[in-house]
Amino acid sequence: MFTEENLKNNVIFYYGPINIDMVSFMSNYIKQHVNASVAVLNKIYKVFIELTQNVSYYSANQYSDKRSFGSGVGWFKIDNFDDFFLIMTGNLIYKEHRPILQRNGEEINSLEEEELRDLKRKTRGLAAIKDIGAHIGLIQTGLITGNPLELSFSQGDSNHLIFTITAKVNKR
Amino acid sequence: MKSLIIESVSDSPYYPEVNFDANTGICELAGESYMEEAYKFYNPLLNWLKEFAIVRGNEVVLNIKLTYFNTNSSRLLLDMLDILKRSLDDGNKVTVNWFYEEDDPDVKEEVEDFEIETGLKINLKPL
Repeated sequence: MFTEENLKNNVIFYYGPINIDMVSFMSNYIKQHVNASVAVLNKIYKVFIELTQNVSYYSANQYSDKRSFGSGVGWFKIDNFDDFFLIMTGNLIYKEHRPILQRNGEEINSLEEEELRDLKRKTRGLAAIKDIGAHIGLIQTGLITGNPLELSFSQGDSNHLIFTITAKVNKR
Repeated sequence: MKSLIIESVSDSPYYPEVNFDANTGICELAGESYMEEAYKFYNPLLNWLKEFAIVRGNEVVLNIKLTYFNTNSSRLLLDMLDILKRSLDDGNKVTVNWFYEEDDPDVKEEVEDFEIETGLKINLKPL
């Protein structure tokens, strides 16, 4: 993760507990310091918050501090290339959650924009207000970026997988 | 009925500023909305709107000036708009204005999605 090659285009990298205050601080840092047009920064900002909040809520590794809600341990990374930015998050998940996450990702990537909007409306309309879930956040990320999401799963420990999401935001 | 006012706090910019004025019926949400457990923040707003617009049948002008809201908050905004649609269907006056930043390329589709889901007309206005 910390190899020179991996960090060559890196603008931001963080590993540790991610709670709402961290998300808020870093998202504002992005707006202030990442060099991109306002329209592109808006997209990075929205994608960053959706993806990092998924780590906060759904990481299998939850950090215990004085807060009682949403301090999932994981990492995020933003890379800057000539034509696009990559926003990546990673966290541990329970192995049994892989099929549903994989299915959701494949569904999102298979749909055209209008179909994805339709799926978003249906998912949002059916969601309970206390538990809207990670699925709609990924749908929204797909809509904002207009690019396929890259989801990957690698071996963690005996009960967990390392789950990473990569979203690509074009500069033009 | 008392107005519902929640001022913004710089330490927690993920909560929007709320000004639901019971005297004028002008209800405003401004700032950003991506707090944890959004329903805890929005439940009092939803209850206030139900009482003001449906039970008492008052005219409402909702001005949404959110420069960002996450998907969790969008679920609660949908509930807010559903309440206003019910009030409109009951014969009460309702206006919804959605103010947007011109540099935000996604907001028009967001608003269009809310219109499709609620059947409510939403006026788009630049901030």
